[in-house]
Amino acid sequence: MGTCAGVTNLTKEFSSAGTTTASHGMQQLATDPRNRRFELLAMPHLDAAFGLARWLTGNTADAEDVVQDAYLRAFRYLDTFRGDNFRVWLLTIVRNSFLDWLKDTRSGQRLFQPAPADLDWTDPNPSPEAMLLDRVDSETLGILMAQLPAEYREILILREIEDLSYKDIATVTGIPAGTVMSRLSRARLALRKAWINNEKRP
Amino acid sequence: MNHDRTKRLLPAYADRQTGPVRRFFLGRHIARCPSCLAELEVIQAMRSALRTNLPVHRAPPALAMRIASALPREAPPPASRRSFRFGFTGAAMAGSLAGVALTLAVTRATPPDAMVADVVADHVRSMMADHLTDIPTSDQHTVKPWLSARLDLSPVVKDFVAEGYPLVGGRLDYVDGHRAAAIVYRRDKHVINLFAFLSGDATDAAPRQESRDGFNVVRWRAGGLTYVAVSDVEASQLLAFVRLVENG
Ligand SMILES: [Zn+2]
Repeated sequence: MGTCAGVTNLTKEFSSAGTTTASHGMQQLATDPRNRRFELLAMPHLDAAFGLARWLTGNTADAEDVVQDAYLRAFRYLDTFRGDNFRVWLLTIVRNSFLDWLKDTRSGQRLFQPAPADLDWTDPNPSPEAMLLDRVDSETLGILMAQLPAEYREILILREIEDLSYKDIATVTGIPAGTVMSRLSRARLALRKAWINNEKRP
Repeated sequence: MNHDRTKRLLPAYADRQTGPVRRFFLGRHIARCPSCLAELEVIQAMRSALRTNLPVHRAPPALAMRIASALPREAPPPASRRSFRFGFTGAAMAGSLAGVALTLAVTRATPPDAMVADVVADHVRSMMADHLTDIPTSDQHTVKPWLSARLDLSPVVKDFVAEGYPLVGGRLDYVDGHRAAAIVYRRDKHVINLFAFLSGDATDAAPRQESRDGFNVVRWRAGGLTYVAVSDVEASQLLAFVRLVENG
């Protein structure tokens, strides 16, 4: 006990890791430096990649396909990664994989309808009910989000869940940096209107 | 700054995406304008609703395995090295075990900057191997003595939950050949690993920030200890965290 605890653990785990791998056969392990670099860079962002894909596709099975496709592409193009933010690069690829998945699936095609352009995004009237929005329950919020156009869903996820800057959002979505703020505003307003309508329903 | 212009820029203000000077002038107008203030509050309510209440979709555990086995594989390395080389598939298959072996290989191949590579690898492994903490508690009065008893060092351990950086726990780790305390914090969904170990150099050194493989790293020396903070949060947020630790 005491100061040796860490060392003991390490030794124990290390030797049992050796045993485990022997029984599974070496060919299963990522041994190539490139594979390992990829694992170090990409695997920590699996939840982020899956979260975006899940919100875009609307279901787990399709999200898994999109993420797998994105990871294989990212692996193939690993050498072209030059930036300092791997997550942004990876999310860009996830989005592209999603768009290709849309093209390939009939069921997907209705998902990415363009958002209505005529939506007035300046604030109508900050009503007290809107102020209660942060008390909306998780399930309702999930349903309301799922009903938004995909381009609104994605920008809300990138901003609020992935915490990306406007600049990084522009990189991932390919929209001009100058229009990120207005699209985000439209997305927020659309969600807020959906919420208010939902509240008015008996 | 006039009303129309401020109103148009309210989202950028709420999202903290303006420069400090513009932020100052926007803030000054908002403070005096009930209409802008009300709209800002709506945007902020919206943001906090999404941040706190949106259902979280985490990758199913099998997905990592599925991807790892779909990746193309290169030729096996020379026999002498391979017992030290465990990658992701190994980690997935052997659960929390395989990641530990990784450092042993990394520690030796060492240019001067190896420490940074090492902490980034430690940070990644702490999340991959599902071994974030040895002692999972937000109670600083539990974490600190637990670490001190095992490492003969007494790093700053403090819960910054009020500032948005809650303490998650502590862990014993190795950095660049040193036995190190890893103190784990969260910032929203992101993990921050704060490593502390005995410095060879007793002089204090101011925080220095750098990026590596998409992670931000800030290191400094204080009170005979080297501190290294690693995370994928934005550099500004990591630096804000470092300031809290420095003043802690
Ligand atoms: Zn105003």
